[in-house]
Amino acid sequence: MASPVRILTAVPICDGHDSAINTINLEFIRHGIEVVYLGYHRSVGDIVRAAIQEDVRAIGISSYNGGHIEFFAEVIALLRKRGANDIKVFGGGGGTITHHDAAAMKRKGVDNIFFAGTSLAEMTDYVRKQYGKSRGSRSHPKLADQELAHKLTAIEDGKRSRNSKSEIRNPCKARVIGFTGPGGAGKTTLIDELVLRFLDHNPKGRIAILSHDPSVIGEGALLGDRATMINSQNDRVFMRSMATRGQAGGLSPATHDCLALLARSGFDYVIIETVGTGQEAMPFQKNGIVDQTVLVMNPDYGSRLQLQKIVMLDLADIVVVNKSDLQRARTAHSEIEQRLEQNQRNQRLIDTVAKRHRDPGVDRLFALLSTGQK
Amino acid sequence: MSKLGQVVESIEKYNKFVLDQVKRARSDKDFGRDLLGRWNDIKAKIPTTRTPTGIPLPRLALPEIDEPGEIARYLSGEGLPGEFPFLNGAYREMYLEPIREVESLEKNDEAKNGKSAKKIAPAEEPTRLFSGLMLAEDTNERFHFLTAHQRTHRLSTAFDGPTLYGMDSDADGVFGKIGEGGVAIDTVEDMVRLYDGFDLGSPKFSASMTISGPAPIIMAMYIAAAKRRFGPSVVPKLRGTIQADIFKEVQAQNETIFPIEPSLRFLTDMVEFTTHEMPRWYPISISGYHIGEAGSTPVQQAAYTLSNGFAYAEMFAARGIPVDQFGPRLSFFLDCGLDAEYIALARVSRRIWAIGMRDVFGAGPKAQLYKLHIQTSGRSLIAAEFKNNLTRTAAELVLAYMNATNSCHSNSADEPFTTPSEEWIRLSANGQAILLEESGVFKHTMNMLSGSPGMKAVERAVEAAILDEFREIERLGGVLPAVEERYQRSQIQNAAHRYEQQIYDGTRPIIALNKYRNGGDDIPEVKLVRTPRKKQQLQVDRLAKFKKKNAEKAKRALHKLASVVERGENCFPMLLEAVEVCSLGQITGRLQEVVGRFRPMV
Repeated sequence: MASPVRILTAVPICDGHDSAINTINLEFIRHGIEVVYLGYHRSVGDIVRAAIQEDVRAIGISSYNGGHIEFFAEVIALLRKRGANDIKVFGGGGGTITHHDAAAMKRKGVDNIFFAGTSLAEMTDYVRKQYGKSRGSRSHPKLADQELAHKLTAIEDGKRSRNSKSEIRNPCKARVIGFTGPGGAGKTTLIDELVLRFLDHNPKGRIAILSHDPSVIGEGALLGDRATMINSQNDRVFMRSMATRGQAGGLSPATHDCLALLARSGFDYVIIETVGTGQEAMPFQKNGIVDQTVLVMNPDYGSRLQLQKIVMLDLADIVVVNKSDLQRARTAHSEIEQRLEQNQRNQRLIDTVAKRHRDPGVDRLFALLSTGQK
Repeated sequence: MSKLGQVVESIEKYNKFVLDQVKRARSDKDFGRDLLGRWNDIKAKIPTTRTPTGIPLPRLALPEIDEPGEIARYLSGEGLPGEFPFLNGAYREMYLEPIREVESLEKNDEAKNGKSAKKIAPAEEPTRLFSGLMLAEDTNERFHFLTAHQRTHRLSTAFDGPTLYGMDSDADGVFGKIGEGGVAIDTVEDMVRLYDGFDLGSPKFSASMTISGPAPIIMAMYIAAAKRRFGPSVVPKLRGTIQADIFKEVQAQNETIFPIEPSLRFLTDMVEFTTHEMPRWYPISISGYHIGEAGSTPVQQAAYTLSNGFAYAEMFAARGIPVDQFGPRLSFFLDCGLDAEYIALARVSRRIWAIGMRDVFGAGPKAQLYKLHIQTSGRSLIAAEFKNNLTRTAAELVLAYMNATNSCHSNSADEPFTTPSEEWIRLSANGQAILLEESGVFKHTMNMLSGSPGMKAVERAVEAAILDEFREIERLGGVLPAVEERYQRSQIQNAAHRYEQQIYDGTRPIIALNKYRNGGDDIPEVKLVRTPRKKQQLQVDRLAKFKKKNAEKAKRALHKLASVVERGENCFPMLLEAVEVCSLGQITGRLQEVVGRFRPMV
């Protein structure tokens, strides 16, 4: 089966109009398209960086706050500068983009502009037809991140199963940290806060993130982790979003190989984030490529009995109770503490409030991760 | 229980009180007789006016009831216009024209003798002219043009994208957005230019600023600009409104720049300052409009707007600002579409607000008023056969005035595909004039269309649904926790999606879109005025000059500002100092270093 079409959607900087793009995203994924959603108020640099790292076929920009002629043109110029000419650009802006504007934008390289009144079906058809064709042979990438992105695509599309030795340029393996836990526990926010600390502490270091969202075979997916990240929009962060494409357990069929490649691509750290998992999930193999595992819990897991059923509580090196400002957090902490004591594995338990700026709990977690203590 | 839970209880209790009054009026003879007496007094005092054709009408229409129980239900359950619980209106006469006297022969003679009945000078024009384009001097010129023939100068300011996000015009990647969709403001010098030539301290001047995320900084710039021009004594005389609604930004409009809690803290800092120092200023406009436009149902719009309002009231009270000081300085802004709920949405909101403020917050009469501005729905307008939008907007206007809104903005029919052009702006403004001044629907009699069985049915259904929303928010721990769990956002998004779905499957008829479509595309080709690059460059150059001139002072001011914030003090006085030498982006940036950046919600 052919791989789904992958596109990136975003709303430009200084623009918070996300109502249209939310509706369009849903329609795209309903029709088998994988959408990496970058969110609103995003700069040209953020959009182009994400598009290259995610190696999407096209960027869809929904602009309602004016300045679209310049903004679209800047996106295209930067794509070209980075050698990513094969990433196409389309968009819309209701009544704010006139036919006259659209003509000017097309002259500058925009594929298509959808006007007010265009049906959702028309947009979906266009994207599937225009960007669904096989890419054919690809020109040689200009930048290391782009090369890496192309290789990840090949792995994900099943065009390359293993990394041959010759491709492994960097013998130095990154420290790989796996994050898992139920949906809504705040994994993405926590990772983004850790990235901020990493960037501050390692002025030259680089970090990679492999993030997952669920999807069914042959269908679309909303890959939305980037939309809520603020610190990870940075040239020193390489992020790739993957749909699970039908695989249970929180990861994708291509995860293992992608991770193996990322781990030897010159990063100091590679963070892997699973989809929101259930009680039985144990996404990371023992003695596998992942060096350290973190289970992120929400204080509202239900009764103490539920804890006995969560397999990852036996396996994780570090358990984080996020949202520890919630009323139930204290109870959660002591119940989980007891549960971990039964294991006698010297697992660490940390309380965090990831949403809070400069949260001391996140500082402690960062210290634990960077010293590599188990 | 949060204050919102108490509000739910207060409404239930009040409704029970009304029923008790009804029962008592029926069982307690003396009480019943008193009520009947009062009712007859009220009726006797209602003046009579005349229509242009000469038939007499009462200035206030009351239900035709003469049974004490029903009188009790009306007076305590609805209240006369201007009386608690304000279902029928915040004020007594609203849009009524001056009384037309009986046209007797003598009167006509008097008129001929030049002794015609005194004309009551109309209050302020209800128009607010929303404007903002290019640079401060361009918007200023526009303001002068718009107000050239007006007695009162009520300016409504739209800001460009970078300003709305607290960024400077020289920030990376915003060049094309300078002066687009609103005016570019980077410094206090821009603010001086923006209102140049207007007497900011005059009782005939008021400024409205539609900005929320960086509102405290922009407010500080406005005050600093006023002081530069008129000296410090102007501050208590300043009149106007700043939107500053953080909750609706997080729930719907996405123009938030700091995390929620510090955003609310900076807002409260500003409110504390303005309620003490600027008693004529409205420091917040609690807005459902953007919630409605983002796709909410009417009930969600009303419920979130009210609950946001109560949450603000709780915060301001917790800061120690007396409710009777801040209460009268709160104002509301709602969307009005075509759904049946709009027949009474604002009426019910006004009643819930009054009861909650009185019984939960202990507010006096002036702090119980839900002062309301309505704008017709932009979302209800479509591009296909767009002239139909005139009818849509007209119907919405009728609904808005049936709800006795204090003021109203009607949208232009061409909005779905362009920034409104002068022709359609004029038609939409005329729509209001035709309804209020030409037609006899609203100018002779208060309550002309109120109190129909259908309206009452809508009132009951809407109130029950709003209280259900309150209970759900309360269950989630109150407004702030619900916002953080993105409850309102997800509800709004679901409603938006359902709306699209209904249009798609035809269960929501939209004429000329999914029904009675003739296929013709009559959208005129428009050419929009864009900010020339030269102007955008000028703004960047001016900003560079300002930054260079103030570099040293800015460094010190930002340092001081940061430490005030770190210490947890009210930062507004320090903002007033900082804006003298720092740009908007410099202040935003420094504050973000201290309190963090807003993490977008999807």
